[in-house]
Amino acid sequence: MAGLIWTISDLLVAITCAIVMFILLKYGSKKEHYLWAFFNFILVIWGGGTFLAELTKNSNIATTLWRIALVGAVPTSTVCYHIIVVLGGLRRQKLLKIFYAYCIVLCSAILLGLAGMDIVYINNSFYQLQAIDLRFKIAAVIWVIIIALSMYELSRLIHKSYGSERLQYKYLLVGWLTGFIGGGINALLMCGIKVFPIGNILVCIYCLLVTYAILRHKLLDIEIIIKKSLVFAGLLAAVFAILILPTILIQEYILRTASFVGRIIGLAISGLIIILTMRRIETFLINVTDRFLFQKKYDYKELLKTFTSEVLTVLNLDELMSLTVDKLDDIIKLKSCAVLLFDEEKQQFNVMASHNLKDPSVKLIRPDGIVTFMEETHGYLLMSELKKKKLTIPSTIQEIIDKLNAELIIPMVMHEDVIGVLSLGKKKSDEDYDQDDLDILLPLARTLAIAISNAQLFVELSKTQADAAQKEKMAVIGTLSAGINHEICNPLGIARGQCEAFLLNIKDGLYKAKSTEELLTKAKEIMAKVIKETDRATAITKKLSGFAKPSKGESELIDVAKEVDEVMGLVGYELKLEKIEVEKHLHKDLPNIFVDRKQFQEMLFNLIRNAGQAIVEKGKIKITAQHKKDKMIIDIQDTGAGIPKDKINQLFNPFFTTKDPGKGTGLGLFIVRQVVEKNGGRIYLKETNVGEGTTFTLEFPVATPEYVAAMKVAIAKEQAQIAK
Amino acid sequence: MPKPRIVAIDDEVEFIDMLQNYFVPRDYVIDVAIRGAKGIELVKEKKPDVVLMDLKMPGIDGDEVLRLLQSMQPSPKVIFITAYDDGGKTKARLLKMGAHACLDKPLPSLKDLEEIINKAAGG
Repeated sequence: MAGLIWTISDLLVAITCAIVMFILLKYGSKKEHYLWAFFNFILVIWGGGTFLAELTKNSNIATTLWRIALVGAVPTSTVCYHIIVVLGGLRRQKLLKIFYAYCIVLCSAILLGLAGMDIVYINNSFYQLQAIDLRFKIAAVIWVIIIALSMYELSRLIHKSYGSERLQYKYLLVGWLTGFIGGGINALLMCGIKVFPIGNILVCIYCLLVTYAILRHKLLDIEIIIKKSLVFAGLLAAVFAILILPTILIQEYILRTASFVGRIIGLAISGLIIILTMRRIETFLINVTDRFLFQKKYDYKELLKTFTSEVLTVLNLDELMSLTVDKLDDIIKLKSCAVLLFDEEKQQFNVMASHNLKDPSVKLIRPDGIVTFMEETHGYLLMSELKKKKLTIPSTIQEIIDKLNAELIIPMVMHEDVIGVLSLGKKKSDEDYDQDDLDILLPLARTLAIAISNAQLFVELSKTQADAAQKEKMAVIGTLSAGINHEICNPLGIARGQCEAFLLNIKDGLYKAKSTEELLTKAKEIMAKVIKETDRATAITKKLSGFAKPSKGESELIDVAKEVDEVMGLVGYELKLEKIEVEKHLHKDLPNIFVDRKQFQEMLFNLIRNAGQAIVEKGKIKITAQHKKDKMIIDIQDTGAGIPKDKINQLFNPFFTTKDPGKGTGLGLFIVRQVVEKNGGRIYLKETNVGEGTTFTLEFPVATPEYVAAMKVAIAKEQAQIAK
Repeated sequence: MPKPRIVAIDDEVEFIDMLQNYFVPRDYVIDVAIRGAKGIELVKEKKPDVVLMDLKMPGIDGDEVLRLLQSMQPSPKVIFITAYDDGGKTKARLLKMGAHACLDKPLPSLKDLEEIINKAAGG
């Protein structure tokens, strides 16, 4: 059995190396690629030679094949050294020439049978090489010395290198060590020293390791590996294995005597298996290569999909930021990540969301080098690229980069302005960012800039809307000033006049006839009146300032009738002056509604005020509140001018107004609707007839305990999200 | 010279009360009404020298009342006292129409009012 594994592993070495060689020759572009190809070529000679030598039963052929195989094995150490010299840009030309000259001499000696070796038939199964004197052993020792030298140089290279290059070198070191230990074990066996014969298996592992490194970590910068060529190679190997395995098994154990018949039967079985399994093997191989070697492409797809469907559509700025960081982190598998946004006020970029920063309070200030660079060029900063170009980075910038834990810094540009910065740390895999990464990350940053800008505008818009609502309210209060003035000045005038009259009467001696007691009574009377009038003025001022203050945005249980009265306190006098009668039909025992008190007053105020303004001369406003099922319905009906049909559709548009210039901003109904909807209600035009009047209806859910609880939960959720 | 006879029309009872507090001890004859219609009746009946009137009262239109009062024989001098302020437009119009004066509430001083009333009655 050991012999069998031995033989098959030789074959695998030959096949793998042949594939690697094929790929290198096809896609290679640099000197080290061709050297690497040559290295694989000599391994093919070794693997193929030993495989064939172990198959044959003829001792002459076995001798020749073993010699050829050794010609492959001898230069492995030298070529390995050569590759390291080229990779590291070392100057070892003389030494290399000596090594190569030695290889040529030794190979010639081997081919001529002068290398002190012979073959023996072992395990009763195949011919194995055997050293017969010191010559072979010395050659083996020299081979090991060159390898040791190579590994020493390689370890120095690892020490000096950085990033993915370092990783590649590490793979090389591990791969070569594995391979050469395997080769060394073989050599020991040949020298007659008994060790467990796992040499060839180690060589196979070496092959697999290196292949993996080439594909996964871009060893030697071979980036383009055509999937098909890999699948093809895998298929080839599988077919070979299937072809050989039954043949050998049958030959070895079942039909050992009838070797010819055995081979035929073996081949027949192999053929059958191949036909039956071919398709499945192919699919399997395609899946495996897809999953493990081309996984990155899938990440890109996922990245795009996640961002277009989940991230870029988010309008909440904070949520957008944290989602961006989370998803980038998740999909590209980053060690750290951060999104910074420009703060207009402070003229600096602040971290809005981050993961694993050394210092999350890091700021990019406007005249900083990084900011200037990005604003001028709109270009990215890739640390490994800068290091490769051997650019020195100023220590202040390096400090910021360190704080950000950044490897790749991309500006997010919107309309020529850098609105933010995307800072990506190293990948967890230690791979460098390559062109493929940049090809997707740069457009992603641009798209993110648009999404962020949208979210920012959205925040601003809601702020503007709140501002507009407040302005509108103040404007409306302005139009009320006449009435309110009356309500304040009248009591003040009375209070003042009463006092003045009293004082002047005393001064002018008009109270001379009165006793002290009578005077005191008179003074008491006047003071009581003054207090009454002052209270009157205070009440209206309080109402006014209370109404003018922006709402806190908190819902509470509201008694509709009470709020109607409150608002009437403000607009009532004005309406009275306009000879407008107000009729209230507020059913007794109306249930509460759950809304923001101030905002509810605003709605009523606007609607009643509008109704009043719609009435040109004399008229009536009817306010009705009734409870229907789970709805509170409030009608505000006027006997005013009515709304022309062609204007009905524009009613709730911003800036639409039928009033004279200066009488309304036109934002009234537009804002009323927003406020109503924000409070879970509905507003609509119930009825209007030109010359007869208009009815607007407000509709709110009745504040049942269930409704209040549900609203409270919703509000808490919203607040939690804002806090997040 | 006898004191001018006054009729005051204002829907603010307290205001009327205040006027009485001042003018009655000073031996003025002052009749008061808190409704426009009643006030006009009163003017017709008492034929005062001066009418003090709030400009903005429910159911009363300043212009109309002024015209009505001016059409009477003899026509009293009309002094408007109001807290209504529309930037002076109404005031200007009423003065042009022949109102004797338009005063703001709160009144700067009752003494001033007295002077104006006397001047109105005298002139």
